Amino acid sequence: MKSRIIPLLLAGALFATPAFAQEGPGQQKADGYRFVLVPKVVHPWFDKVNQGAQQAAAAIEAQSGSKVEIQYSAPQSASVAEQNEIIERAISTRPDGLIVDLLDPSGNRSVLEEAAEQGIPVTLFDSINPEGMSLTTVGSDFCEQANMAANRLIELLGGEGKVAIMMGVPTAPNHAERARCAQATFDAHDGIEVVATGVDNDDINTAQQQASAIMQANPDLDGWVAADAAGPVGIGQAIKEAGKVGEVQLVGLDDLNQMLVLIQEGVADSSSASRPTMQGYWSVINMWQQATGALTPNHIDTGNVMITPDNVESFMQ
Amino acid sequence: MLRRMMGFMVLNPLSGVIAVLAIIVLVASLLSPNFLTSYNMMIIARSLAFIGLITIAQSMLMILGELDLSLGAIGGFCGVIGGILMVQVGLPPWLAFALCLLIGALFGLVNGLLVTLLRLPSLVLTIGMAGVYGGLNLVLTRGVAITGIPSSIGFLGTGRWLGLPIPFWIMLVFLAIASFITLKTPFGRYMYAVGSNAPAARMLGIHVDRVRVGVFAFAGFLAALAGMLMVARLGSAQPSIGDSWVLGPIAAAVIGGVPTTGGIGTPLGAIFGAAIIGVIENIIVLFGISPYWQSMVSGAIVVLAISLDAISRRYFKRE
Repeated sequence: MKSRIIPLLLAGALFATPAFAQEGPGQQKADGYRFVLVPKVVHPWFDKVNQGAQQAAAAIEAQSGSKVEIQYSAPQSASVAEQNEIIERAISTRPDGLIVDLLDPSGNRSVLEEAAEQGIPVTLFDSINPEGMSLTTVGSDFCEQANMAANRLIELLGGEGKVAIMMGVPTAPNHAERARCAQATFDAHDGIEVVATGVDNDDINTAQQQASAIMQANPDLDGWVAADAAGPVGIGQAIKEAGKVGEVQLVGLDDLNQMLVLIQEGVADSSSASRPTMQGYWSVINMWQQATGALTPNHIDTGNVMITPDNVESFMQ
Repeated sequence: MLRRMMGFMVLNPLSGVIAVLAIIVLVASLLSPNFLTSYNMMIIARSLAFIGLITIAQSMLMILGELDLSLGAIGGFCGVIGGILMVQVGLPPWLAFALCLLIGALFGLVNGLLVTLLRLPSLVLTIGMAGVYGGLNLVLTRGVAITGIPSSIGFLGTGRWLGLPIPFWIMLVFLAIASFITLKTPFGRYMYAVGSNAPAARMLGIHVDRVRVGVFAFAGFLAALAGMLMVARLGSAQPSIGDSWVLGPIAAAVIGGVPTTGGIGTPLGAIFGAAIIGVIENIIVLFGISPYWQSMVSGAIVVLAISLDAISRRYFKRE
């Protein structure tokens, strides 16, 4: 009996050895991965992030043979408490990774710590790290994006005029940072006066109402910039309604299809866009690389681009 | 045996909602290996704790035939006031916590007084008051969360006892208090009398307005408690706290057998209703349902749950 067991154990050990061998960075492989993507809220901008994530999943499968499933799970409203609940529920499904756009780093911190406790890696996109955490972030420089828009508007106005800023969700750090940077850029130019600031909570209808009211109160307004993707779409509609196309300049933000149409129609001059599809793509690639054991960078900069009538066609889908 | 069980089902008004909850839990546990894990049960309990406190408050108002749509806004505003008192004013956390509960009760009292003195429908008035409290919240915060909440109150939101979250235990304590008030005290009997027929209750010598104002104040207190527990949970006072506490608790109370017309139902039934909604929201994410389908699926399951409850009740009564 003993003579049969020993060779069996030896054979088992032989076959088991590769499983226990130390694999170098990026060499671990699995048949499949499941990543959960949690955006701030249900919103067309995040649909583009999801598209990029799905593209990356297909690319990984094509290149490595490993199947990647992206589970898109979005809060119905931009509430930190609701987003935390979605993240917690996602953790309980034991995914191979979480890809999250934080609504508020301080408010989301506790669930990110829970994910770490449960051994689930996290990649952040379009967000900054909560204080003291060092998760990989994927996204662009919000301040640079806002400055690009503000400088373009200043150039359009010849360095003189009255302008307004549309904030998105005041509690969203990226929206707040864009608004702050646009304000600082305008403040640095003596000829530019910021006469109003609207809050649209990243909602097109609210943006339209706010923009209409601000233009009523400031009939000599010369131009607009926005800190969120929904804002310029609502502003563009308000400009059209007021019959002020060409009279009030609009430099938009991001590349929602409605924004691109406004540029084509000549309602908006241009849009300073981050690249949501690329953010989704590189978030999944980063998550996959972490799963293979590779070390990943602190930040992946997906950059910003100025969409103008000359290049708008290339962004249309 | 079956006859005795059916008798129990007929006599116990909660049997239908408990049966529906049991069916949903059974189906979820069969379809998802992640559902019955201790971590998942813990997050369901924690989620139920916050929405549960508002549901208890709303169910007590609904027994009176009233509604308060500003409870979420009161919770959020009290959370922000708590953050300001602790971080910017520098009050000891426990004092700030207690003050906020009193402020919440005061806001509820104001709602109750406006409803009773102006004879306004509570539904309309509290929609307006939600705007007032929500607006004041934004005035104070400018939409920016207050961070640096002292860690000494953190365990109230993040701690656990016997494997369950502290907020869940707190919710259970207040469920017991609310159940005792409604079912075992003269005040509770007055609540049902006012909800069934306010003019008749007045003729019987019940101080209808006092009962209404008292329940509104208690509801404000519970909303503030939920808001402060959420502040402890998040470690920051978010202006968005309470935004999602408006319709869910009303739906939960209706599912749990508390109609908006008043006079019947219990806070315990409402909590079972909240548990049904909480479990449904949990399994929607567990099953990876697209966010664009979530509201539809969640709403359809709620309608199905109410229908099953009503049909089974009718069937057992006939039997």
